[in-house]
Amino acid sequence: MEQALVVENLKKSYGKFEALHGVSFEVASGEIFALIGPNGAGKTTILRIVSTILQPTSGNVVVYGMDVQKEAPRVREIISYLPEEAGAYKHLTGLGYLRFMAELFAADTATQQEYVRRASDITGLGDRLRDKIGTYSKGMTRKLLLSRAVMTHPKLAVIDEPTSGLDVVAAIDIRQSIRRTTSEGMAVLLSSHNMLEIEYLSDRVAIIDNGTIHDVGTPQGLKAKYGKANLEEVFVEVVRQ
Amino acid sequence: MRRFWVILKKELKEMLTWVTLIPIILITVVYGLLGRVINSEQKKQSAPQPVAVVDYDKTATSKALTGILSGVNLKVTTYTDGEVDEIVRKVVAEKGSAVLVIPQGFEAGIGAQKPQKVQTYTIMRSFSLLGMTSSIKLDAALNAMNQYVGDQYIKAGAPGLDPAIVRNAITAQSFVTVGGRSAEGNPQEIVGVVMQQTMIIPIVLTLVIIMAAQMIAASIAGEKENKTLETLLSTPVGRGSLVTAKMMASGIVALISAAAYMVGMKSYMGSLLGGSGGTSSASGQAIQQLGLVLDLRGYLLLGLSVFAGIMVALAIAVILGAFAENLSSVQVLITPLMMMVLLPYLITMFVDLNSTSPILKWFIYAIPFAHPFLAAQYIFARNFTAVIGGIVYQGALFFVFATIAARIFSTDRILTMKLNTARVGSSPGNWPILRLIGSLFKRHK
Repeated sequence: MEQALVVENLKKSYGKFEALHGVSFEVASGEIFALIGPNGAGKTTILRIVSTILQPTSGNVVVYGMDVQKEAPRVREIISYLPEEAGAYKHLTGLGYLRFMAELFAADTATQQEYVRRASDITGLGDRLRDKIGTYSKGMTRKLLLSRAVMTHPKLAVIDEPTSGLDVVAAIDIRQSIRRTTSEGMAVLLSSHNMLEIEYLSDRVAIIDNGTIHDVGTPQGLKAKYGKANLEEVFVEVVRQ
Repeated sequence: MRRFWVILKKELKEMLTWVTLIPIILITVVYGLLGRVINSEQKKQSAPQPVAVVDYDKTATSKALTGILSGVNLKVTTYTDGEVDEIVRKVVAEKGSAVLVIPQGFEAGIGAQKPQKVQTYTIMRSFSLLGMTSSIKLDAALNAMNQYVGDQYIKAGAPGLDPAIVRNAITAQSFVTVGGRSAEGNPQEIVGVVMQQTMIIPIVLTLVIIMAAQMIAASIAGEKENKTLETLLSTPVGRGSLVTAKMMASGIVALISAAAYMVGMKSYMGSLLGGSGGTSSASGQAIQQLGLVLDLRGYLLLGLSVFAGIMVALAIAVILGAFAENLSSVQVLITPLMMMVLLPYLITMFVDLNSTSPILKWFIYAIPFAHPFLAAQYIFARNFTAVIGGIVYQGALFFVFATIAARIFSTDRILTMKLNTARVGSSPGNWPILRLIGSLFKRHK
């Protein structure tokens, strides 16, 4: 299967603090790959490097054969990044925001309209898309941003904490949206410290703590390997070892 | 390029909201109204002011002096008897502006060549500059009276001698020389007219630079605070396009504000400066002959200098905005830039750079925003080398700051750097700005 993402011996330092100590993993095309770990484990740093907005101190990150540092503009054409607690321009309407983002990705009006239509369907916000984003709840904004992230048919979607701070109903909606959109072959790299969410969403999981990946596998495989009932217990066991 | 326009459109939409426009409209309207009010007040003041003369002397001299008052644009009502206090109260009630009391025995005293005293009552209704007009006019009236009496003495002492020759035995034919060209005219009047032409430029320029800098810094800080910057940086928009679009949007909005302010300011300043007396046709001709009117080349150079100043400010503001973590920190970060803009404006208002110490002179020249303020003066003085030199210097500084700004946006510094207020060592290697510049140009492994 074609590799969507290859990360090799990735290191990142902020001044004297080394946030990543040589991380390596791969994500296949059409796969949902999750990084799980506590706050400060280095998940967001990895996602930002893959999304071309941070530069690694050393190591290689390759998206569909393109180096994220040397070919950043080309990588940005085929990925989409949804940061944790990302915001949208509050003075724009939901539709206005989707149109703005569509114009950044597509040159022709027909494709732009197709992107906006697709995003409008995924959000499920209906007429509320005509309202200013400033009037949206956190859940509505997150749905809008997620639909924006997938409307361009990215080959790799990078999603940081997809349901952070959302209520149960909104969180379930978001997870179902991610599942639906990946059925079209899009690879997803996501991060979360919500192990149950990861168990539901991901094909494979990497357990990361203190900038080091401790183990990688399918949720079922990891549970079987460590003899635990859920990923939370697997995580505690792996980190303890 | 297409993405540049998309970002520019979005930035303009964000910046041109009613929240931004209402203060601009309000300032324009308020200054415009202020100018009209001052103009109408000046017209009222220039109309003959009602004054009362209490002539207890009732002689030919006192009557002649009363006549002189009518000649200096005063509407005179004469009283020959009654209590002074009573008359003053009456004049106040009738909205008069002054009372002049000529005492009994005035003519006799003059005839005996003894100094005489008259009493003046200036009726103050407001303590504004315009409120002082009646007192100034009364002073002019007293001067005219003294001149009349002096002329009488000269006529009596030296019959046949023209008093005007005694008063002004020497008169000057004034010439003003600018850049090798000379023309006949009053130097004070010419300076006044040139100031009228150039005074608005620094005021508006200061406003534009400060506004544009605040807007772009706020735009970057706002993107950080609202967590939209990371999304934007991960889209296919070039970092250069992003920075340039933000700079251009701030520049456009600042120029719109500047145009609006200029309309208001012109009315306001025109009313203030116009009140100090009109320009004689001789001075008007002299100004033309001396070339103290901006021609196409002058406007082009001035425009270039102003544009370069705005661009330098925007590039610095991008860097400062990158340090900001949120909107509230923008004001603090932008303060040094505002000081840099205001400093040359305030100094060049009171100091002549040609005669000041070389250290202060070069210090002012080092500030890029001093050059647009000085440009008009240099253009009038035909010192085009100084203007072009200033523009080249501003261009070089813009290049340096724009390169730093572009580097910040193209590295992860835009997300990771913030103003380090923690204590650092005194070695230059520990200074945050030097560390920043060093790290920006360090080759990434």
